[in-house]
Amino acid sequence: MTDPLAPSASAVEIATAVKAGQVKARAVAEAALARIEKHNGMLGAFTDVTAMRAIDAAELVDGKIANGLDPGPLAGVPYAVKNLYDIKNVVTRAGSKINRDDPPARRDATLVGKLEAAGAVLVGALNMDEYAYGFVGENSHDGPARNPHALDHMTGGSSAGPAAAVAGGLVPLSLGSDTNGSIRVPASLCGIFGLKPTYGRLSRANTFPFVSSLDHLGPFARSARDLALAYDALQGFDEADPAQAKRVNEPTTNRIGYPIPGLRIGVADGYFAGDAMAQAHVKVVAKALDASRVVSIPDAQAARAAAFLITMAEGAALHLERLRTRPEDFDPDTRDRLLAGAMLPAVWVEKAQKLRRAYRDKVLRVFDEVDAILAPATPMKAPKIGQKTAVFGGVELPVRPNLGIFTQPISFIGLPAASVPVWLPGEELPLGVQVIAAPWREDVCLRIAQQLETAGVCVAPVAKGFLE
Amino acid sequence: MELWQNDLPWGHHDMAYKPFDADALIDAAAPLLQLRIEPEYRAAIKANLKTASKMAALVEQVKLENGAEPAPVFRA
Repeated sequence: MTDPLAPSASAVEIATAVKAGQVKARAVAEAALARIEKHNGMLGAFTDVTAMRAIDAAELVDGKIANGLDPGPLAGVPYAVKNLYDIKNVVTRAGSKINRDDPPARRDATLVGKLEAAGAVLVGALNMDEYAYGFVGENSHDGPARNPHALDHMTGGSSAGPAAAVAGGLVPLSLGSDTNGSIRVPASLCGIFGLKPTYGRLSRANTFPFVSSLDHLGPFARSARDLALAYDALQGFDEADPAQAKRVNEPTTNRIGYPIPGLRIGVADGYFAGDAMAQAHVKVVAKALDASRVVSIPDAQAARAAAFLITMAEGAALHLERLRTRPEDFDPDTRDRLLAGAMLPAVWVEKAQKLRRAYRDKVLRVFDEVDAILAPATPMKAPKIGQKTAVFGGVELPVRPNLGIFTQPISFIGLPAASVPVWLPGEELPLGVQVIAAPWREDVCLRIAQQLETAGVCVAPVAKGFLE
Repeated sequence: MELWQNDLPWGHHDMAYKPFDADALIDAAAPLLQLRIEPEYRAAIKANLKTASKMAALVEQVKLENGAEPAPVFRA
């Protein structure tokens, strides 16, 4: 078993050791805070460190154990959240300069409260693309988050810090958000596991929104079991999020090891085929799962286009007043897309919303044939920080909008998807594969992720320079 | 690969007869919305609108029934 104080310790290992009295939660928190102090200047993952709160929370866990009380399934597990989550007494900057003028949050985001109730220990807030509008992880106000596996490369975004913090071993667990791919893209580029649950599954209350009709929240981890443990703790209905579905909790951790031979798994073709490099990563996963079936997702290109339009328009509506009064305080890349979004003809957006429902109906029929679909999470491995264009399928195109081409058509209709990390032999950077399931079947995504991890096909090691 | 290109062709409909004029849209919509468009913003806004117009053309290529409902449904 890994030393629970080591950077590579998993959430399961830490919680087990803390509950068994082998290590104090306070010592685990202090070790995480020391790693943040040592490495964050290099990684740019954290924007706020909540050291005092972490020590208090850890001591609470230790106190419960001393009194024979159950400290929760995530006892003493350090974690951090994208800085669009409210943290009591911390300003919710959402990657922006403008929001720094807001007062500190008066309460925690619902999901922060849920992890804390499960015994986890919050250590801080994490870097992100401004207002979550980006796939690159570069922030003009806070600087870029850096990919722990190659510091001159992007983490991907917009949940850039959450991916960097986990891949760099600063914490075993983090929370991000995913509107068009912002969990799956950085998970892919940083070589970790990420879960975007079904739209409406987890409460988004007390987080700063981006595109309400597409926003999802979810966890990152270095193992499928940790991902499931966090996801289970995050479930639960919350009246404060009007988009959340009224569903009972559907735990996954207790079923994650169930064998998967009964599952029908297909590989998405056509739009999702990607180039040879992306295909090679998907093939590794497909072979391990004995997934020879090919499935077609109809109208995926139009779906991506519709998601693009809805994002522009809803994002612009959210920020309209700020665009009027403080345009110079935005990151220019964010501002100019939002300004354009404010001017979109309404009929384009209405057409996009109608397509959304029609596309959903078509894609759900695909799940009559299969239980899960495999597709690349990104069309390429991590580009270099500052890189503006890349060759996609032989054509040079802008990096920023194209990193999410394979994730957008999935989140557009709220399907649950895990990104699982694949490293080809001899390669220094990973690429993630999406395991996509029917609505409310996160358990399928997680069981497959666990199977791939057990088979050694998908691994998420702490980056080499961060093992001490 | 053509599927990923921003320079996708227009749809098979009669909108193609007239090129998308982003400047005209900006000049009409920005004052209406009380948005201040500094000269240095304009090129990037135009590029984004041009991309959006191509995305809209892609959306329009999918045939929708007259009875198609938009995704968000308000319930009183």
